[in-house]
Amino acid sequence: MSNLENRFILTQSQKMMVFILSMSLYGLSNMITELVPEFYIGPIELSVEYFAFIPLTLCILFHPLYAAIGASLGEVIFGEIMLGQFGGFGELEKFIAFSLAMYVAGTLVRDPKNKLQVGIAAMVGIIIHQAISAIVDILKVWVGVEELEAVPGLAESIVAIEGFYFLNDVLFSGILFALLPTVYLVPRLYGKIEPLLGMKPRTRDDRYSLKEIVGPRLIVGGILLAAFAFLFEFLSETEFNWEWEADFVEMFGDWFVFISIGVAAFIAIITLVVLSNRKKNNTQKDEKVS
Amino acid sequence: MEYGRKWMDKLSVEQVKIELLHTAYGNSDIFFAKLDPRTLFIWYSYFGITPWFLHNEYILLGMLLFMLVTTYFAKISPLIMLILSLGLLGQGGSLLIIALFFGGNWATLMPLFILTVKLMVISLASITVFCSMNPTQLSNGLLKIGVPGQVSFSIAYGYRMLPTLVEEYHHVFQSFRLRGKAPEKRGFLYIRTISYFVKLAVMSFYPLLLSTAKRARTTVEALETKGSMYGFNHPEVKKLKLKTLKMKKRDYLFLIASFLYVVLLFVYFY
Amino acid sequence: MQPIIELRNVTYQYPGANTPVLRDVNLTIEKGDFVAILGGNGSGKSTMCKLFNGLIPHYYVGDLSGKVTVNSRSTLDHKVSDFSKTVGYVYQDFENQIVSPRVLEDASFAPLHFGLPDFEERGIRALEVVGLLEHRDEFVWQLSGGQKHLLALASILSLNPDIIIIDEPSAQLDPQHAREIYKLLQKLNKEEGKTIIVIEHHTEFVAEFANTVILMNQGSIEFKLPVVKALNEIELLEQHQIFPPQVTQAAAKCFPHKEQLPITIRESLDLFERGGQMEEEVSSPGPEREVIVQYDKVCYSYQTITKKKKRVLHDINLTINEGDYIALVGNNGAGKSTLMRLLTGLIKQEIGNVFLGGKDIRKTTPEKLAERITYIYQNPEQMFIDDSVEKDIGFYLRARKHPQTEKIVNQLVEQFHLKELKKRDSRLLSGGQQRRASLAIGMGMNPQIMLLDEPTANLDISTRKQVSRLLAQLKSQLKAVVIATHDMQLACEFANRIIVMHEGRIIHDGDKYSVYANQWLLKKAGLYPPQIFTLSKELEWKHPVFSVEEFVQQYERREVSYGVWT
Repeated sequence: MSNLENRFILTQSQKMMVFILSMSLYGLSNMITELVPEFYIGPIELSVEYFAFIPLTLCILFHPLYAAIGASLGEVIFGEIMLGQFGGFGELEKFIAFSLAMYVAGTLVRDPKNKLQVGIAAMVGIIIHQAISAIVDILKVWVGVEELEAVPGLAESIVAIEGFYFLNDVLFSGILFALLPTVYLVPRLYGKIEPLLGMKPRTRDDRYSLKEIVGPRLIVGGILLAAFAFLFEFLSETEFNWEWEADFVEMFGDWFVFISIGVAAFIAIITLVVLSNRKKNNTQKDEKVS
Repeated sequence: MEYGRKWMDKLSVEQVKIELLHTAYGNSDIFFAKLDPRTLFIWYSYFGITPWFLHNEYILLGMLLFMLVTTYFAKISPLIMLILSLGLLGQGGSLLIIALFFGGNWATLMPLFILTVKLMVISLASITVFCSMNPTQLSNGLLKIGVPGQVSFSIAYGYRMLPTLVEEYHHVFQSFRLRGKAPEKRGFLYIRTISYFVKLAVMSFYPLLLSTAKRARTTVEALETKGSMYGFNHPEVKKLKLKTLKMKKRDYLFLIASFLYVVLLFVYFY
Repeated sequence: MQPIIELRNVTYQYPGANTPVLRDVNLTIEKGDFVAILGGNGSGKSTMCKLFNGLIPHYYVGDLSGKVTVNSRSTLDHKVSDFSKTVGYVYQDFENQIVSPRVLEDASFAPLHFGLPDFEERGIRALEVVGLLEHRDEFVWQLSGGQKHLLALASILSLNPDIIIIDEPSAQLDPQHAREIYKLLQKLNKEEGKTIIVIEHHTEFVAEFANTVILMNQGSIEFKLPVVKALNEIELLEQHQIFPPQVTQAAAKCFPHKEQLPITIRESLDLFERGGQMEEEVSSPGPEREVIVQYDKVCYSYQTITKKKKRVLHDINLTINEGDYIALVGNNGAGKSTLMRLLTGLIKQEIGNVFLGGKDIRKTTPEKLAERITYIYQNPEQMFIDDSVEKDIGFYLRARKHPQTEKIVNQLVEQFHLKELKKRDSRLLSGGQQRRASLAIGMGMNPQIMLLDEPTANLDISTRKQVSRLLAQLKSQLKAVVIATHDMQLACEFANRIIVMHEGRIIHDGDKYSVYANQWLLKKAGLYPPQIFTLSKELEWKHPVFSVEEFVQQYERREVSYGVWT
């Protein structure tokens, strides 16, 4: 315990506590925001997008990784599965983007008592999340529409719409439901909530070393996202292969469905691995260069 | 005030319990609920992804037709379908209008139409699959395909704790209401009243953060003594849990039928 | 008997604490014993129990010295999960140890996660033992509080442990359910030879069920004695804020030189002489008073999970007058809380009218009603919304920009003995302190009428007494008070009017004399009178008494008049 380096290493059960805490609370808040109707003033949507202050606060006060993952899972479970709205792959994308954003926000804060730091971290978290969401949405249209560039006006309009939503969410939800409540809550809870979980509060020295945290983990997160983008692109190329599939069926019979699905899954995994390796090499090279 | 009251009425504990029970038990008699979760995952992994990369409108429409049939058999409420369709059409429509500003013309319509059909196929596929599975099936299925035990535990825990959490939130929110003072003037477009209630909704989380922290501690202690840490790390526990999962004849038949239909689509229209 | 738990020179200190919670503890618990652990708050009872199942030192790091042996295995050398099959622990906040959504799932959770192939049979068997088998497929939140406690017990029984530890069952449950749990424990103890350890404040249960008593004080064992001897140590117990059974207290006062005092009613019947109590005048009802609240043919229903309406109040007619201090008693689910909550305006009756000062309550908003009627929740935490006791008390006044906020808050802080605690967060206080804070918050709203839901639930006996005293003080500041309670001692001491509810109806409206004269009523509403009342009744007194002081007084007067002392 006295060893300074080991101070912020949590036991397995403490991680689980942070995880459960974050999951249940953010899940609950999600269920509440799902029930709140939206308001429109012209094209401006004044909806309570999410109570991001809950995961932000917990990421700042506790271990950001477990708080972030817990919150994302809470959203999926309470806000989707339990309301009968689980969306399949779409949830995966939200899960990764949100966890990553909250995690980064949590690591940015060194001193939970410093309101400026907390505020900046909250806004950065929201911006990262909304930016990733916007990019993914644009990517979807890009993948979904054949030769997007050739369709007049569409590319511009999708960028414009996403850009608008990005600003709307960052300025409205970001300030009202992330910045203000987080700045209000963090100093109040600091030193009070940690003992309830049998932990010592974070101190100035307990920060995560930038190299350790922002280094590999951020990169892995980035790679994952990039990999998904590439996966879509790659799959779009395979479209032509469906043509000969029919012949195979005639030749081999019904069990082919399993093989075909198995092969598809296998290819997908291999692609992921290869792409992430390549990307990792690239990044490592980049790091060396810089 | 009226608005806030309605909102809180919606959030009553009994209401939440009814909703939960509904999603948990609601559809147990339909065909899809009897399938193995793996079958549904496999099925979804095809219809949830491939439409993105298909650009042939006939194939897509054929798929859409198929999805409409499956959603019909999954007994999805027409209201959900309507909301979904309106949402997607609205999205497409707004894209179109803005595209016209950027020099788009009627040639923009077709790609947008295809995109909307794609999105529809994907959404209907996920609705068919995930509305048919009850939470136990879903969490068992996820466990089976290798998602960590913590996730399926969390789903179960969510079901266990949600009514308790909602009740507590409800009480705290009411305490705020009774002891605080709602603004006397509603303000332009009820702005004052709305912002008062939204502020209460946010502030009610401060007490909840502390009390949930206390809860989490006992729960994790109990988990420790109940061997869950042992369970998460031992494959034989997983086997024991999933011993009821079994691919049956109807699973294979369903997959084969879906496959044949897709093949047919490709053969005819490609 | 063979020892099952042995502690040798155990000292333990929580991480970050300055002083040890356990100091040099030496203790042996025999196999098959029924042990009750007594001790004030912070005496280390719960900490010691966490040593028994290995949570200390494996889960809580901290400084542990000495040796703990459970079932001849040292807790240092084995993991927590190894002890789960030997020791089962039901927590004080047992709700949070139930982790699965459905009843059977939770009962078989532990055997499943330990990889036992017969996990389901084990769960079913455990449910059968506690009598919950018919609820096996229900969701946990469909169970009542008492049933949840039984489920928490079933979940540990499914591993078939040799030792069962239960933390304060009588503080968490109403008297009827507490008795059920004790009967069950007794059965497990006698028939299956389980070692039972309870942490308990309620000495009447201890006297009836336990064999051995351990008294703890500031982390050390004060004594470990057979139950009769232990409960005869009246002075020592009272020093530690523990009150022996009422019959024992009465016997100690009536027979100061008696060596061994009775600890149950049966034993005390041999000691006290029967009959011959002096006639006592029963007070007659006072003059007519101002009507404040009126319920007129009120019915209330709520929607259940099967979407059917369930009626919880049937045709209630009730008038509350100024100067009424009402105890609302009856089983769980009798409709007590609903009846009170109608007055807050947060729920609305289906049929009928409720009038406050002659005005229809439906036409007033809950916010406006709150200015006249305060409702104190059963769980005080639900009233804590700000980050310190002081701010919570002043929240109402500040929201209304009351000019004397500061002065009133200071007065209340003083009145409820919260001076040292006023800067602290209410949620981090102990149970009794939280209760005091919640009363102060209620008074901070300057109400005319106060409604309290189970104000003494979850409190140990000495804190109960303190809260009862504070409530008595409030009478002069309020026009009327309604208390829903299971605590018959409180009802008898506090109320001048007792209303008995049963299945949504008022079945009796009178005072303590009329309630307790009616055997049928007591049985139907599941009421347990104070022990001293039962004793005086058993002694065939014409006017049974409700407190130890009264009993002693009457008994002595009777002796004088019969000339025993001459």
